[in-house]
Amino acid sequence: MRSTPKKVVVVGSCPVGMEVARQLMERGESVKMVDDLKTDVEKARTRGFNVEQINLQDDDALRRVGIGDGADILFALLDDDASNVFLLISARAIAPNLPIVSISGVRDTIVRLYAAGATKVIDPYRISGYKIYEHMHRSLIAETLDRTVFGRGDLDIAEIHVTEKSFLHGKYLDELSLSDRYNLIVLGVVDREYGDNLIFATDPKRHKLDGGDVLVVIGPEDAFAQFQHDIETEENFPGDAHS
Amino acid sequence: MSITDYVIQTAYELEESERYQRKKRAVYDLLENPHSSIRPYFDIFMMLMVISSVFVLLFSVKHHLGAWAGWFENAVLVFFILEYLGRLWVYDDVHKVVLEEYEKSELINEPFRLSKAFRSVFRSKWRYISSPMAIIDLLAILPSYRALRILRLFLLFRLFKVFRYAQSMQQFGSILQEKRVELVTLFGFLMFVLLVASSAIYLFESPQAGGHVEGFFESIYWALVTISTVGYGDITPHTVEGRMVTMVLIVSGLGVISFFTSIIVSAFQEKMGEVRDRRVAMLLEKERGYTVICGFGRIGQVVAEYLARDKLPFVIIERDEEAVQLARRQGYLVVQGKAERIGLLRTLGVGRQAGKVLCLTGDDVINVFVTLSARQLDSNIEIISRANHHQTLNKLMLAGANHALEPFKIVGLIAGEYVGQPVAFEAIHDIVMGENDITLESIKVPCDSWMDGKTIGELPLEDMRLILFGVITSPNRSSDHVRSHFDLKSLRFQFNPGADFVLLGDDMLLVFGHKYSVLHIRQKLKSATYSK
Repeated sequence: MRSTPKKVVVVGSCPVGMEVARQLMERGESVKMVDDLKTDVEKARTRGFNVEQINLQDDDALRRVGIGDGADILFALLDDDASNVFLLISARAIAPNLPIVSISGVRDTIVRLYAAGATKVIDPYRISGYKIYEHMHRSLIAETLDRTVFGRGDLDIAEIHVTEKSFLHGKYLDELSLSDRYNLIVLGVVDREYGDNLIFATDPKRHKLDGGDVLVVIGPEDAFAQFQHDIETEENFPGDAHS
Repeated sequence: MSITDYVIQTAYELEESERYQRKKRAVYDLLENPHSSIRPYFDIFMMLMVISSVFVLLFSVKHHLGAWAGWFENAVLVFFILEYLGRLWVYDDVHKVVLEEYEKSELINEPFRLSKAFRSVFRSKWRYISSPMAIIDLLAILPSYRALRILRLFLLFRLFKVFRYAQSMQQFGSILQEKRVELVTLFGFLMFVLLVASSAIYLFESPQAGGHVEGFFESIYWALVTISTVGYGDITPHTVEGRMVTMVLIVSGLGVISFFTSIIVSAFQEKMGEVRDRRVAMLLEKERGYTVICGFGRIGQVVAEYLARDKLPFVIIERDEEAVQLARRQGYLVVQGKAERIGLLRTLGVGRQAGKVLCLTGDDVINVFVTLSARQLDSNIEIISRANHHQTLNKLMLAGANHALEPFKIVGLIAGEYVGQPVAFEAIHDIVMGENDITLESIKVPCDSWMDGKTIGELPLEDMRLILFGVITSPNRSSDHVRSHFDLKSLRFQFNPGADFVLLGDDMLLVFGHKYSVLHIRQKLKSATYSK
């Protein structure tokens, strides 16, 4: 299902950095961890992470670990917002097109991190806080999500790229009925006619799929694999024969 | 039957009588129980009574009041006496003391003597009678029996009774009490200086020596007026020696005043935090089922924000001064201190009215410890704890947490998603942030509603712009036609159950949708007449 491993640079060996690196490695990506604080580096090393200590303010050092030179994606996960902004600006100057994901400590810095060149900013504290709140007040939903989507890969949220050649091309979203045929629920779609944003499937418009569009579906891994397989091999939509 | 037998029998009867216990309990709630709901009203009533009775006393100095003033005085007195006796009654259980004595003597095989039992009853009641508050109460009652003028002064002692009812006054008292050593030292010093100065002035300023000080009482009065820097000037030194003494006394007076002020100020400063904490605890007394948040770090701040948004009551324990200030600025109830202190947890109502405890500090050791302490205080309280490291998860569960969460795991998960599937990432990000209008919501199927017994295919979900994620059912429901199902702790989640799936009462639909769509379907469920 996954293509060749991506080269990921994770900057920051704080708890968030370690967790991200751990999960990326579990997914089989090629991860390079760096940080400039000796104490943090030592701490991460005792936990079994291979962290390289470099000077983050030195552009050559950044290039050496792969930024602007081979890295597919950069995670700027330093504990301190100012350091993150500095790192983002340095990295953006070296590699204008590199996707960069960063974290914000305080809410107000999100805008600044985007201005500094982040592709995506995650607020780890808000996510964690909301999770705890959810466990308090919507415990059943939280439990279900934990058990299915965020559990050990029972249900996957995955994306399907529509190509010109696939049988999805030219179909309307509502005539696919993927939930019956494949046990997959369509959550949303990126319809290039309406821009590059994800549109949730509850949108009242009818969406026609064309090449370049992306479907986001949720379902068991084997159902997803079956669907992916059908897209690649079948000429026509399997449903057409019956209907 | 001898008197002894009768007393013992009565004691046993009282011990067993539920009515007696209930009555005593009611009086205790009214007079003493700090957590009872009725006591604040009683306190206010008594305070009004004290103040009005003193007011009547003051008013009668220059005015003649009618007979009603006498009745009022008598009514107040009756209340005071009843209160005094009530407090004396609930202070301890006489019959228990008697029974204890009796059982003790049975144990060591000695004849039970009534006099001995009465002695210990008296001893324990005397402990109450000799307590400062009880003495004040008594002094508020006694002077009414005498018409002596000096005893009327004691009527003003009633004002001291206000102390009993006003908690802030009691705090003031306790603050002074804690600085006892310093105050006694100061008092000793003051006495010494006064003695020396007044003897000197008596000596130097006697009429024989050309002064105006007539007696020793006057010299003490003069010394006190001078040392306190009040200086009325009705008595002044006229001799050179007397003036020298005055100068020394004035300088030492400055020292005494500043020493006294600094003692009081520092005492209040030291106690300020405690006074504030007590206020928080008092505010919490009125609430039920509130949340105690231990740790106001960045995660704690987000949780507090959500709770405040939903207007749910909560209190924060945080040890860091800066974070405490931040919480105060937001207007949250906060107590500065260590959540590990079991006393602090108890003060904040864990084990009584608190409903949930969240352990959100960045230190796993503290989280485990607080979880354990809270579980010890209350076996039913819901505890949610944060595990900063994976290995802590099961330790928290062992310590008694209902849920243990690894906050950064989910961050790692969605960050990892971004590498492979940036579009799917958006969907997950929206779901985990809960800030988007599209949310995952649960809709409960009420028994005997129009939904009960319908199949999924019959529901107008598509018209309502809802996407069905799955149905939560009881764990023993068959999943024959459902392709994937997952067992939760006590329920079963049927993923994408298909159009033929029949809904029953108490099932729960999980749907993705706009919050208005969800509101819409919930409203429809309430109106029973809805038909498709």
